This record gives sequence, structure tokens and C-alpha cells, in this order.
Amino acid sequence: MSEEMSAFRGVTRRDFLKYCTWLAGVMGLGEAGMARVASALEAAARRPSVVWSSFQVCTGCAIQLLQAREPTVQNLILQQISLDYQDNVMAAAGSAAEEVLRQVTEGEDFYWVVEGSVATGIPGAMTVAGRTSMEVVDELYPKANATIAMGSCAAYGNIQAARPNPTGAKGIAAYLREDGGVADPVVVNLPRCPGHGDDLIATLTYALVNGELPELDAVGRPVFLYGQTIHDTCFRRGHFEAGRFVERFGDESTGDRDWCLYKVGCKGPVTYAPCGRNLWNGNVSWCVNNAPCQGCAEPDFWDELTPFYDQVRGGDLPGLYGVTAEQIGIGLGIATAAGLAAHGVGTAIRSRRTTRAGEPGRREGGEL
Amino acid sequence: MPKVVIDPVTRIEGHLRVTCQVEDGQVVDAWNHATQFRGFEIIMRDRDPRDAWQFAQRICGVCPTPHAHTSVVATERAMGIERVPDNARIIRNMFEATHVGYDHILWFYLLNAFDYVNVPDALNASPTTPALQNLQSQLRAVVESGQLGPFAGHWWDHPGYLLEPDQNLELVSHYLQAIEIQQISNDAQARIGGRFPMVMSFIPGGMQERLEIEEIQYYIGAMERVKDFVDNVMVPDVLALAPVYIELAEQGQGVGNYLSWGLYDDASQEPANRVLPSGMILDRRITDVQQPDLNEVRMFTKHSWYADDAGQGRHPLDASQDPQYTELPPIEGETLPSGKYDWSTAARYGERNLPMEAGPLADMLVAYGSGREQVVSLVDQTLADIGAEGQPQVLMSNLGRIAARVLREKVNVDFAYQWAQELLDNYGNGDMQVYDAVDVPDSGEGAAGWSAPRGALAHYMRIEGGRIGAYAAVPPTNWNLSPRDDDDVRGPLEQTLIGVPVEDPERPLEILRTIHTFDP
Repeated sequence: MSEEMSAFRGVTRRDFLKYCTWLAGVMGLGEAGMARVASALEAAARRPSVVWSSFQVCTGCAIQLLQAREPTVQNLILQQISLDYQDNVMAAAGSAAEEVLRQVTEGEDFYWVVEGSVATGIPGAMTVAGRTSMEVVDELYPKANATIAMGSCAAYGNIQAARPNPTGAKGIAAYLREDGGVADPVVVNLPRCPGHGDDLIATLTYALVNGELPELDAVGRPVFLYGQTIHDTCFRRGHFEAGRFVERFGDESTGDRDWCLYKVGCKGPVTYAPCGRNLWNGNVSWCVNNAPCQGCAEPDFWDELTPFYDQVRGGDLPGLYGVTAEQIGIGLGIATAAGLAAHGVGTAIRSRRTTRAGEPGRREGGEL
Repeated sequence: MPKVVIDPVTRIEGHLRVTCQVEDGQVVDAWNHATQFRGFEIIMRDRDPRDAWQFAQRICGVCPTPHAHTSVVATERAMGIERVPDNARIIRNMFEATHVGYDHILWFYLLNAFDYVNVPDALNASPTTPALQNLQSQLRAVVESGQLGPFAGHWWDHPGYLLEPDQNLELVSHYLQAIEIQQISNDAQARIGGRFPMVMSFIPGGMQERLEIEEIQYYIGAMERVKDFVDNVMVPDVLALAPVYIELAEQGQGVGNYLSWGLYDDASQEPANRVLPSGMILDRRITDVQQPDLNEVRMFTKHSWYADDAGQGRHPLDASQDPQYTELPPIEGETLPSGKYDWSTAARYGERNLPMEAGPLADMLVAYGSGREQVVSLVDQTLADIGAEGQPQVLMSNLGRIAARVLREKVNVDFAYQWAQELLDNYGNGDMQVYDAVDVPDSGEGAAGWSAPRGALAHYMRIEGGRIGAYAAVPPTNWNLSPRDDDDVRGPLEQTLIGVPVEDPERPLEILRTIHTFDP
């Protein structure tokens, strides 16, 4: 007897509900949210179109997306989204690839994912089909339903922007605000280096299910993902509280004893990221299994949180001396992506529009 | 004379444009342009040398592990460390085995296959198994939805696609299997390194933690599954494709010089003793393998967007790294590249300033010429299978570049278990050491070479005042995709493209295929 199929493009009902449960969990909706996720996904007649631009990249974020498990990459690209332009996996090349991009983006109904930083100091430091990263942002940001900065480069410039930043690399939001004439850009930042595929899938699904973008913190990260520090979710935390620290790599305190890595450079206390809850690579591991956290979800970590193997600068830690992580951290404030309204799934989400003249064209509601 | 430009070259890492002149259905001249610059070597100056490998692995998110590894060894050499504990040597081999395990599979199926496998034609197949029938109906749903995603807009009607519909459908199913298998290999890599991409567990002097027993078990289980796929799917696929696309053996002979820094250390930790040994072959003389010297590499920038040192080949640590962008010629019109046209510098070897091809083909030819038993039997068997018995020179072609990458994966999975066994033996003998602490000295200089999946990779470091004074990476891109040098000698890809037939300049599929054989 064949298994009951869901209405969702050839996936079994059981697998589909399992997936919805996982997503609802990641999105912080709880069990009650599962039904909402399921009905929203099943109601979407057209797969949401995703355009992925690569600027100053190493391609690590794209490779990380290929490690996604829930859904499988196969279901993701064949059933859940329509990955219409992604230069690492698309068949078409050259002018044929650019024609695909033109056709998809002229409809102005697509989610725009960006990997890599924008080169503003040497515009020619990154070109695709002869166009600079700045030109591509100027064209696509106003057209997209939503702009998602996948990974630390698109979010904050990351390693390219580390001192002395030879190419004038910036994250998308900084470029829009400082050079692109957009006073208050709406960009969802999903920093980590590389960006984590699960963050992207969860954010896209959140937007589809809720018809609006998630609440963002002061540096543009979704609160539902980036609300806790690595330190708060670390399995070594008990050793920290008990004052048991690794003093030197490779000695008896490492291996299967899992003592705290604070003294050999762990940046967990000042790093807000979901690594401890959504592990990496099919949940088999995360950095602090094998090494101190390097703080890769924080802006400017290459300059602010290095040397990697020296104790974090700027103070001591909660539990030891009564100083809070917030006081020595990079700070957490809450900002919301305003100007968006729920229109149900399949409805295009419109970010704030801004003309080049610099008038913030705030548009309430999701007009189609 | 028509100018044919492919920009973007898709299904690669990074950003690449290729310009060709085509005459009478053949490429007569070619230029490659890396169209991205980030300035890593500038950014790395004046930092803590122990951090270098973390910066360096961000050069490439497809192959961060060999960058991290080679960088950490260069740092060790600059710090005066000549050897690491034997367990660290073995864990590094295991790390690299999981990385190669994923990388060649990713290349063969996700990056290269669409040059030969016609996805829409899979709808014309007559599948007899439920799995293939199910896949075909999924594909049909995608096509009928009008949202073709990654399959949209390609030259599917090009006459160069030669497989039967059933073969196309089967290869699409292998493509989807390949996504899963590369994940399995990377999961094992993440158990060693914390995550992938961007691994965490190297440290100058060894590894930060020893591998625990369950991590070793996980590695063994994962590599068994990868080996099963390689033996039963990937190798048969390349043997099935070769006769259909046998014209590839007549294309892309290249420059005929091959460079390998070697892959997988034995207990001696000497590059010449590696499983795939360091070596170079000049002027196609396979039986005359010579040992290359990391300090004989010279960089030229006459045609690259860096401060011009015309006529001056320089050691990587002394080469110009200061950007000096001019312009790219427009895609349209007749203007051909001249002057500076590439963010890649031109790497050349030795007194004769030789352009060298790097990659799995170079690694396999060097191992073959060095008499490495497993490689010799594997290559000879493959030559017999494709009807070219006793003619290893046939491999110096587009077909050879594809086959060598698959065979290199085969060597990798055949050796993978050995590293786990060696580590367990050491543990059993009471040797648990993975790290030797050494302080950063005030000054020093060092270099390291390794064969990354794309080929010869070298890193160089100079320590001054306890900080990084100068840093240089010479990845395979600087060899294979080098622009012309100061004597206007073309780089390997530029040379390889000349003579490639082009049936339709509007749809230059053959050019795309040739570029992809280098896994740029």
C-alpha cells in the first residue's frame, strides 16, 4: 500500500509534516506553529523565486547551503523554491545566464539572496558580465521582495573589510546607506562564516508563512535565530562555571574532557549565534567540539576578536566577576523591519523603497 | 573574426570571464580574466602568525581545508617547526581525505555534468524502475511548472549533447545522489574540524584536539559510503561517458608541463614520499619526473591588475600585491584584451619561466611517472577500458583531465581507511600526542606545498617582529588560469583553448567544457 502523499509536490505526508515541525521549531513557533507552516506551504501555488547574487565571495556560503538536510537539497530546489539564478549550480553560462537573470528580475517577484561583499573602493574588484557589485545592488535591491544577506560578507563586509580593507568592501546594508542613497535599508543579515543554510531556509519560510520579515536586532540579525550567545548554549558551560579551563591545546583537559576553552581564545561569550541550537552539517558537529569559537557572526570579528587564540579582550566574564556579557560584547539592541504587513503566503513582500534622490519611500502594506 | 566572450563562467568557484577569437570553427586565441580581487595578502600583514590559516582558508570556500592545511604548514616552517607529531600528520591526512571525498564528487556531478548530460532530454527516457520513474515525474512537474530553476535557459538543443535519454535520466539521478554523498563526506570532515566549510581544528604545531574513538568510527563509516559511490557509480559513469565523448581525447593538449606538490604524508613527512608524490614533468616527458622547489616559483604581473614589474619575475613573497585596476574590454564589439586584463597573476617555474599545468592530471601523471604502484595499475586499467592501452599521453587532453579527477578520487577512497588504522595503531601503542607547543619567533620565513583538489597550492610566510611581515598564496588559479607572462607566453588554460572546435559561436559549449576540465 502506498504511503499517503501530501499536497506538497510529491513528498509523503509524514515527511512533509516532519519538516514543518522542524521549521516551526527553528522559527520559534512551537507545536501550534506546525499547522500554520504546513498550510502556508501547501497554499503556495507558485514556488517562490530566489535569485542569488555572488559578489566578493569564496563560495563557502553556497557550499554550506548544499549541506542542508531539512529539506534535502533536492526537495529544496525542485519543490520548495525555484532557484532561478545561482552561478555555482545553474546550467546556463555567459549571456544565456544573464538573460535568465533579466527575465526573472523584470517580474519583480523574487527573493534576493546575496553572498559576498560589495566592492566600493575599487569597483572593478568584482564584476559579473562587466557589471560591478554596486551596479547590481542598485538594480536589484529596489525590485526584490526582500533582501537577505547570506553570511558575514554580505552582512558586514567580513574578511574583505578587515583592515586595511584594500577594496573598500562593505556589507549590503552599509553600501545602501552610505553610498546607495537609501536612508533606512531593510536587509536581513544572516552572518556566520560561512553563512548557515538552515538560517536561510528558516528565514525564507518565516517570510512565506508570516507574510513579513522577522524581527531584527541592532545589527540586522533575526532575533529568533540570533538571540543567544554561544556561551549561553555551550555544552562546556558547566566546566566554565566550575572554573575548569583548557590552558593549552592537546593536553589532558581537551579530548573527551571538554573543559572550557575561554582561556585559549573562545569568543563564545561575546558572540550571538544559533550554532549551539542548530549545529552544522546535518547536526553532526559545531566548532566548539574541536576548537574555541572565533566569533564569526559578529561584525568586524577579524579585527575586534583576534588574535583567535588569545583570551577575549575587554573584560571578564559573568559568573566569575559579575560583569555581564552584554557589557563586554558588541551589544544587542532590537530593531524591527517596519513597513511590512501580512498578506498571507504567496503574497509578495515589499521592502521599503527609496528613490535615488534619497526620499525614503516607505510603503505600508504588501502591495502586489 | 568573431570574438566569443563567456561571462559569467558558471559552475565554478569565484568569478571568471573567458575571451576567445574563433576562426573557421576553431579557437585561435584566448584570454582568461579572473574578475575578483579581495586583497588577502595585504589584509594578513601585521597580524598574529598563528591566525594566518584562518584567514587563508577564506580564499576558497570550496577548498578551505587544503588552504588551511597548507597555510598552517607554511606558518610552522616560518616558526622553525619542521615536523608535527605523527598523530597530527595522520589526522591531517584524514581531514584531506574527507575533503577530497566531497570535492571531486561535487565537481564531476554538480559543476561539470551539465556540459554532457541533457536534463530536459531525460523526459524522453523510458524508465523501468520505480525510483527513476519517480524522478522523471518530479522533473516533468518542474518543467511543466515553467519554473525550471537551475536548468533554465541553457543550450540544451546544442548538437553536442550525445547521450541517450535513458543515460541522461540515470545521470540526473546520480547527480542527486552525489549531493547526498558529498554531504556524508563533509559530515565526517565536520566531525574532525567542527564544521564545513571553514574548519576549526588546525593549529601551528599539530591539531588542537586528538580525535576521539567515535570520531574515528564516524570517519570510517562515512568513507566506506563514499567509496561505495565512487566504485559503483562515479568510476562506471566516467567509463560510460568516455566512449560517447571520445573526441575530448583530441582536444585540450595544453602546455605539456605538469606540477604537483604532492598529497598525503607518510611517516617521513617528506613531499617526495607522499602517496601522490611531489614532482614535475616537463615537455610531456612522463618518465622523467623531477623534484620541484617552492622557492623557484616566480610571479609576473605585466598583464595583471597589480603594480607593473615588467620583465621581473619575483618570488611570491616579493611580488607586487598592490592593486592597479585599469579596465575590462566590453563584451560587445571587436576590442580584444591587451595590457592588463586579469586579477590573477602569472605563476611560472624556474629559469625557463615555464607555465605549468596543475591539477589531478598533473598529480596522476607525476605519480604514474614515479612508479607509484596503485596509480600505475589504475591508470593502465583505465586506458585499456577506453581503448587506449599503453598510451598514457592520451590523458594529456580534456578527456584526461576529467578522467584523472575521477581516478584521483578513487585513489583517495582506497587509502582513506589506512589513515584511520595508523591512528588507532598509534593510540594502541600509547602515543596520544597531537600537538607540540612552539612560541612565535621574532623572525623567520617558510613555505609549504600541497596538492589541493584543483592542483598545486603553495603558501609562503615571512615573520617580522613576531608578526606576519609578508604573506603569499599561490593557488592552482595562478598556474592554470594565469594570464600571459611578461614575455607574452600564454597561461595553461589560454593555451589549452587554442584549437578547440566551436560549432556555434553563439552557444560555445565546447569552450565551456574545456574551461570546466580545469575545475577553475
